[in-house]
Amino acid sequence: MTVPALFSLLLALAVTLWSLPASASSDYQEQLFLQPLPQSSLLASFNFRGNTSQQSFDNQHFRYFPRALGQILQHAHTKELHLRFTTGRWDAESWGPRPWNGSKEGGTGVELWAWIDATDDEEAFAKWITLTQSLSGLFCASMNFVDSTRTTRPVASFEPTGDHPHAEGLHLLHGTLPGEVVCTENLTPFLKLLPCKGKTGISSLFDGHKLFDAAWQSMSVDMRPICPSDGECLVQIEQTVDMVLDIERSKRSRTNPIPRPVPNEQLLCDASKPYNSEDTCYPLEKASGKAWSLQEVFGRSLNGVCPLAESDGSSEQSVCLRVPHERQVFHSEGAVEHKKPDGFTRCFSLSSSQPFDLSIPEQPGQVQVPLEAPVLHAERTIVGHGQERGGMRIIFGNPSKTTSVDFILFESLPWFLRPYIHTLQATITGPDGVPREVPSSELVTGTFYRPAIDRERGTQLELALSVPAASSVTLTYDFEKAILRYTEYPPDANRGFNVAPAVIRILNAPGSAPVYIRSTSLLLPLPTPDFSMPYNVIILTSTVIALAFGTVFNILVRRIVSVDQAAALGAQSLKGRILGKLVAIRDRLRKKETKVE
Amino acid sequence: MAVDRRKVAVFGAAFVLRLLLICFFPSLPDLLTGRVEVSTPVNSFKRLQEGLYLYTRNVSPYDGGVFHQAPLLLPLFSLLPDVKSNPVPTAVFYFLVDLLNAQALATISESGQSVQSRLHSAIRKHIRWDGVSVAAWFLFNPFTIATCLARPTSVFTTSGILFAVSNAVDGNSLNAMLALGFASYLSLYPALLFVPLALLCYDQRVQKCPQAPSTVVFILQHGAILFGSIAGLLGLSVLITGNFWEFMSATYGFHLLVPDLTPNVGLWWYFFIEMFDSFRGFFLGVFWLHLASYVGGFTARLRRQPLFIITAILGVFAIFKPYPSISDASLYFALLPLYRHLSPLMRYTFFAISALLYSSLLGPAFYHLWIYAGSGNANFFYAITLVWSLGLSILLADSIFAALRDEWEQDHPEAKGQEVKQV
Repeated sequence: MTVPALFSLLLALAVTLWSLPASASSDYQEQLFLQPLPQSSLLASFNFRGNTSQQSFDNQHFRYFPRALGQILQHAHTKELHLRFTTGRWDAESWGPRPWNGSKEGGTGVELWAWIDATDDEEAFAKWITLTQSLSGLFCASMNFVDSTRTTRPVASFEPTGDHPHAEGLHLLHGTLPGEVVCTENLTPFLKLLPCKGKTGISSLFDGHKLFDAAWQSMSVDMRPICPSDGECLVQIEQTVDMVLDIERSKRSRTNPIPRPVPNEQLLCDASKPYNSEDTCYPLEKASGKAWSLQEVFGRSLNGVCPLAESDGSSEQSVCLRVPHERQVFHSEGAVEHKKPDGFTRCFSLSSSQPFDLSIPEQPGQVQVPLEAPVLHAERTIVGHGQERGGMRIIFGNPSKTTSVDFILFESLPWFLRPYIHTLQATITGPDGVPREVPSSELVTGTFYRPAIDRERGTQLELALSVPAASSVTLTYDFEKAILRYTEYPPDANRGFNVAPAVIRILNAPGSAPVYIRSTSLLLPLPTPDFSMPYNVIILTSTVIALAFGTVFNILVRRIVSVDQAAALGAQSLKGRILGKLVAIRDRLRKKETKVE
Repeated sequence: MAVDRRKVAVFGAAFVLRLLLICFFPSLPDLLTGRVEVSTPVNSFKRLQEGLYLYTRNVSPYDGGVFHQAPLLLPLFSLLPDVKSNPVPTAVFYFLVDLLNAQALATISESGQSVQSRLHSAIRKHIRWDGVSVAAWFLFNPFTIATCLARPTSVFTTSGILFAVSNAVDGNSLNAMLALGFASYLSLYPALLFVPLALLCYDQRVQKCPQAPSTVVFILQHGAILFGSIAGLLGLSVLITGNFWEFMSATYGFHLLVPDLTPNVGLWWYFFIEMFDSFRGFFLGVFWLHLASYVGGFTARLRRQPLFIITAILGVFAIFKPYPSISDASLYFALLPLYRHLSPLMRYTFFAISALLYSSLLGPAFYHLWIYAGSGNANFFYAITLVWSLGLSILLADSIFAALRDEWEQDHPEAKGQEVKQV
């Protein structure tokens, strides 16, 4: 085996183990990793990485680093940037641990955090606003709505991933937009940042219709400086797209996308269910796995190799597939298959001139790729009913039988959700299944809490927690829902407000890459006023006030007199005199009438 | 000193009633604490607990949007045992404060100031309740009991006001000013009671020694005492919190600017939810000016009855202050029985009481329909707060009319019981 072959083998191995090689062999690389998951899903994980030297970055000589982004980062003095666009939910129960250990995904919507070089907090915030406004324009996302109420400064949840020679002036700011709908208008600018712009290479597989139809997808942009101990500093940009496609759904033809029920005779039923009969069926998943090809799942085939990713004339093994070696895989001509010794991974070297496709037929009776169990299960829900108050419940499950899990829970809550942190309670359910209430200080080893200020900033809560082996811990706290001014409600006020997902950073492995888990985002219904009647309310309240004020001051300023005096007083007034004249005239007329008679 | 058996019976019964309520319904205090009619953002016991939690962990409770109560309450409540594990001591503390308030009321009633003062002597003096009956009226008022069980901090403001008045009728003008300073320090608005209270002190002083200084000098002196007492309390607060402007803006700034629009029984919250943004500042000014305008009017017209001015202004507070609760109404209802002799002169008592009963029964129901059942909207509860305010303002206006009529009858004894008219 030659030295380059050995090197590429090691490289591919490293990629399959989801770890990051510290430095790259060339200045630009791209990788596609495919893995069928249970429940006929397919994980497709794209990775694009470009390096440029710090010097050429400072001199604005951009080659692999996108100019549009680079200039924004220089203008906002941003030294490290992480931007995430995520939709859907990662089903950890069936799909196992997250790709990249969760370090390349964000909470639902848009999540952004950056280390900004500034002298003090105000300056850092001003630059942060510059950054969000510019990124908002670049990515066609509403990041300009990341204002002071959605910005936090996490203390323990994030650490810089790059090497910063001057770390003392750096400020970490973090913002989320849980309600942002990620869609094709965000994909187009994302693709434009790539050197091959989605024309060739693995990025040619991206199709907005398929990508945003996925059960879960996450796009990320990371920029970090890397300073090897012996060489010149580099600026690295890494873009990833991870998605879990439902194979059945993706294979639907675009011209006729209506799903049809499976005919009865093709249904595979679970006969062990008690209710299984002629007319009731619990469908079984096919053990053989679905048949699929790139063309069917992505709607297009891979268009050659991005020429910038080529090193010395031949392409890297840029497409890897994780299925058992026994499984048949057909690929188009010109590509070379390399099977890895782990028994499950094979990678393909692509021909630069020919399109590449890959197809897997249905094949019964075979081993499955083993999935690891996640280190921690986390689930966060809102409990209680009514629009006045509620409670937050976070459940952490530790599946390990032997080791406890230490982690940091990071919550950033909107200001109109007012948590009462003194009601924080912990319940622990041990292996015996009996829940027992413990003081929260027993599990919480550290707390950082910055309460919200109305209309100024949101709540920031960071808890360092530990869950013992084979137990689950439930944290609860009460909160109150604020009522807002009517102009502060969105047009669909009764839908509720989005609450950003909690970020969980698992601390167990020192020195290794951090593991992140994000809970789902929550929907918080707030009490709403009647939007149709501001005028009515102003009028009615003013009427009541005027009534009280009028009555009271009317009583205060008038004199009290007896009824007889009132009559006498009345006679002197103008009205009294006119009335008197009228009476006199009437009397005179009456007199005349009597005379005539 | 002979122990008044009736008083002991009334006070004991009130204490036992409250104790029985928390023993038989242990969830009642927390239920009442959560009611918007009792707990407002500026007096809620739950918010106090949150502030206390942060305070005991060395986090500034004012650097957040939850706690808006005076800083001196924090060390006071940190002395009491934890309320979650041991709620009885806190509850008993509130019971005792209630009994002290009732004692102050009995003192006010027994001084006879409400019927006979320096410049005024009511013509129906004989129609009158004694101190124990007035105290009983306060102690067994359902609004007072609900307030006491829900443990809002406005109870201490009530104490400050009642002690200020009871010291004033006893002639202890210094103590009266200190007590009013305490009440104003806790919740700002009692400072508006200063002029009538100083007049009450002045009348007592003149009755005792005729060579008293002139009214203006007397009021300026006592203004200085009040100012000094508030400044002293604020100084103590700075020692506790360490940041003057932070707690000033979180407490008094919060009272003045009304940023939290949580529903309550008053008129401000829905008005400012629905107000157009550009007019919010203007109407805040108008509402505060309106609240303060009554003080001048009452003081000028009812100069002869300073105690009645205080009662009427407390009624105005119960209707028009930014975060009113039923504890403010219960304070007004506690002072009204002092004017039992005015009841024959009142004209709309039935209507006012019906409106108050109607709104206090329907208010919780409509709030439930809006917040929990979802079958009503915010207008339901808003309409009930309008009725409540209307009922209270009718009662207020009617009692003022009766007081003026009473004054008139003192000047015209021959016209007693005649039909009158206002011109």
